[in-house]
Amino acid sequence: MQRVTNERVLVQIGLLIVAVALFASTFGQQFSSADLAQSPMFFPRVILILWMGLGLIALLQSIRSDERTTKIDSWPRMAVVLVAALIYTNVVASEGFFLPSVGFAIVCLLAFGIRRPWLLILFALLVPGALVVLFNHTLGMPLPTSRFTYLF
Amino acid sequence: MKLKTFATAAAVAVVAASGVAAEGYPERPINLIAPFNAGGGTDLLLRGLAPHFSEAIGANAFVSNMAGGSGTVAASALQGQRPDGYQLAYMSVTVSTIQPQIKNVPYGIDSWTPICSIAASPTMLFVSDDSPYQSMDDVIAAVNAAPGELVFGSSGPGAITHLTMVSAFAGLGIIDDMKHLPFQGSGPAIKELTAGNIQFFGDTELLMKRGDFRPLMVFNNERVESFPDVPTATEVGIEAPLNELYLWGGLFAPAGLEPEVTAKLEAACEAAVASDGFQQFAANSGTVINYRGAAEFDAFYRAQYTANATLIEAAGL
Amino acid sequence: MLSALPEAISILLSLEGLLVLTLGTILGIVLGAMPGIGSTVAVAIILPFTLTMSQAPAIILLLAVYAGSVYGGSIAAILINTPGTPQSAATCLDGYPMAQRGEAGLALGWATVASVIGGLVSAVVLIFAAPQLAALALEFGPIETFSLILLGMTCIVSVSTGSVVKGLLAGMIGIFLSTVGGDPILGEMRFTFGNWQLFAGFNLLAVVIGVFALSEVFIRASNQISTVSELVSFNGVVLPRMKMWKGRVRNLAKSVAIGNVIGVLPGTGAATAAFISYAEGRRSSRNGGGFGKGEPDGIVSSEAANNAVTGGALVPTMALGIPGDAITAVMLATLTLHGITPGPKLVEDNPTLIAAIFAGFFIINLLLLPLGMLLSRVAAPILRIREAFMMTAIVILCVVGIYFVRGNPFDLLVMGGAGVVGFLMRRQGFPMAPLVIGMVLGPTLELTLRQGLILTDGSFPAFFTGHPIALVLGLAAVAALLLPLVRSMRKGTVG
Repeated sequence: MQRVTNERVLVQIGLLIVAVALFASTFGQQFSSADLAQSPMFFPRVILILWMGLGLIALLQSIRSDERTTKIDSWPRMAVVLVAALIYTNVVASEGFFLPSVGFAIVCLLAFGIRRPWLLILFALLVPGALVVLFNHTLGMPLPTSRFTYLF
Repeated sequence: MKLKTFATAAAVAVVAASGVAAEGYPERPINLIAPFNAGGGTDLLLRGLAPHFSEAIGANAFVSNMAGGSGTVAASALQGQRPDGYQLAYMSVTVSTIQPQIKNVPYGIDSWTPICSIAASPTMLFVSDDSPYQSMDDVIAAVNAAPGELVFGSSGPGAITHLTMVSAFAGLGIIDDMKHLPFQGSGPAIKELTAGNIQFFGDTELLMKRGDFRPLMVFNNERVESFPDVPTATEVGIEAPLNELYLWGGLFAPAGLEPEVTAKLEAACEAAVASDGFQQFAANSGTVINYRGAAEFDAFYRAQYTANATLIEAAGL
Repeated sequence: MLSALPEAISILLSLEGLLVLTLGTILGIVLGAMPGIGSTVAVAIILPFTLTMSQAPAIILLLAVYAGSVYGGSIAAILINTPGTPQSAATCLDGYPMAQRGEAGLALGWATVASVIGGLVSAVVLIFAAPQLAALALEFGPIETFSLILLGMTCIVSVSTGSVVKGLLAGMIGIFLSTVGGDPILGEMRFTFGNWQLFAGFNLLAVVIGVFALSEVFIRASNQISTVSELVSFNGVVLPRMKMWKGRVRNLAKSVAIGNVIGVLPGTGAATAAFISYAEGRRSSRNGGGFGKGEPDGIVSSEAANNAVTGGALVPTMALGIPGDAITAVMLATLTLHGITPGPKLVEDNPTLIAAIFAGFFIINLLLLPLGMLLSRVAAPILRIREAFMMTAIVILCVVGIYFVRGNPFDLLVMGGAGVVGFLMRRQGFPMAPLVIGMVLGPTLELTLRQGLILTDGSFPAFFTGHPIALVLGLAAVAALLLPLVRSMRKGTVG
């Protein structure tokens, strides 16, 4: 109970801090226009002020209410899938599409409880492989390729 | 010490490897990057060129798109690539010479090996057909009569359309008495020109023909064939370097490309541009072909880069 | 143009014409139905093929793929809560709850019928009233557009399921995200912190796919996995029966009208129409109370409007030479390639071609019904694969789809980040549709506000004094914002 309350409040405080930091950053830059409404920061500042105001109201509401955040049934699975997805989206640019996709598919399928090895390998190789064959070698609009070969 | 030896060895190996690469070039598909979305003018031009380029160079050539930031995202990304001759981008006057001078992008005048220029169209200033202005003299008179009233449009700050307007009105000394209304792209600007929310707009002839518009002057070194009665900017009294403005574009590779590879690419580009297929394509699409070889294009590009600095200052960007 | 119709129809009913229409629509539906792959990517895939075709088939192929993918987007939105495009985001709101109730087939049935009717009506409007509607588009200058966008923003309140405060907050975050990058008037960089990748701003689709599709995968990973029952029980489209339409026809008609009108105005787009129509449906439909909990009228509002936009967007494109959205811009460029100059004389000079395009659009919408039903039957077994495979495939497809939107791997990082932030926010009860609305409408709101201020020399009140259309829309916006607030304050349940 204590933990879920905390998560709710923490996320809201996080959103508020981001807004305040962004708002503060708007005063660090110099812009050419002297006219207030045509300053590049005029519109973002208005939005950020609204964000901060609404964020504060939402935070107060959260502190007062005793609503619960949905329970996470499996922290490890959630963490594995989340981290794997983040790594995956980060390395496609440098390592190409195929290899990271195979890696991600294996990790993700394992996390979701697929245990039959041949099924796992088949899916992890076939889906990205088919996409590479389709886009890189049939349609001529290539996905990023690895450092080893331009073929995948 | 050991490190130094290793570095030397590595350098030798790289030189040797690239020498071999130049010999056998091209041995895999060549990527022609359009720095804009699929289906745009630049993209279609490249797609028109690609098959002929591919035939001339003897390897597969495909077009890929990397859009965003008025073309600077693709240019910035390409700039960091190894100059291996497999990655070329079609860059316009704005992407290569204007954006790097107004934005803090990681590329500049020395970041490229120009391969060839392909197209160039002069821009023109035009008004709606039902506009009272018949000549630039009318425009000057109207602006002086009602300072701060008349509005010119552009397709965005720093775009060729914006610079056309700046060249015209800064060149005539009346820009401070006018308002600038930027749009996102030429389409919305043309709509507002038709609707009357802006009075002036400037773009290439191809775009001008999209509506019922009347050109008042052209930023070319001579009058254009299709509008023999429209004066050049020089005739109107605009002085260099603001008197000529072309929307040009060509192929660029990252700086440091091997001369042999450059030569091969240049030859392929020339053959592709001269091919019947591409000539037919250009005639259909209204593309004004303007071929320059690598050396000539390099000189032209550098001259434009410096000349446009004046223009950027006048635009207050 | 009407006189050219018979000849145009004979072009369409030729072997090539029929092939292009059918295959294009099928391809569009299939691509659109894949999570992460939306209209933009579908059109990019088909574009190279159109270059070698003659003009009429080329444009019709683009149109078929486009219309098909807009419809296909609703399939993924309803069945797995992952809209492929922003315009299907509103469809999720009621479609997915219906699917969870076990009525996936019926939800898709409503979406199909609403899409088809929306598309057909807009095609008819296109054929008979394009010039008149084009004149309407010219009435909408920056100031009028600003007021319309302001009205659109008020939908945030309607689509905020749960808490209005959190919805508004999500909306503000969306608007803020859209201001990152180049300033639209002066070109100066904002919130880029020296990173050139941010010069182009955050890509809308990358954020949408992140907060909807990717965060959905994370949410499912955090829940108990059902290993026995299938993901959704779905056996194909179930068309709503006649008597189910009782009390819903008015909502449908209104949604189609909203879609048509908004489609005509360049620079607003299908997502705007879908959200405004959804908000209006919630306000005026007699089933409005059930919106957000799986109410068919919610699906009808969104789908009828976003498909009607497709036809509406062709009006300024064909009548004025001004593209209504990114896809019609591609069509115009394709026309140029074939030596045809788009512009006011386009219809006059090429009556057969334009008639073929308009009639083709009508036929495409007719085809959506049988093809949609057929394809959903074929696809039903695929949806029965285990959750593990489905989730993995969704992430991989999203990576492919987002990569091809701009060809920029940086967008993948944005998608990943948006997925995590979306996951955290959704867990705290933040609705994500307002974030999408903010991001879709934010840029136009700022641009037109500042354009208006340039035109009026910095006077905001002058927006409404000299512009009657802007005044009416502005008042409607104020009313739409205040009425629900007042109502909920009376009940003492703000937020």
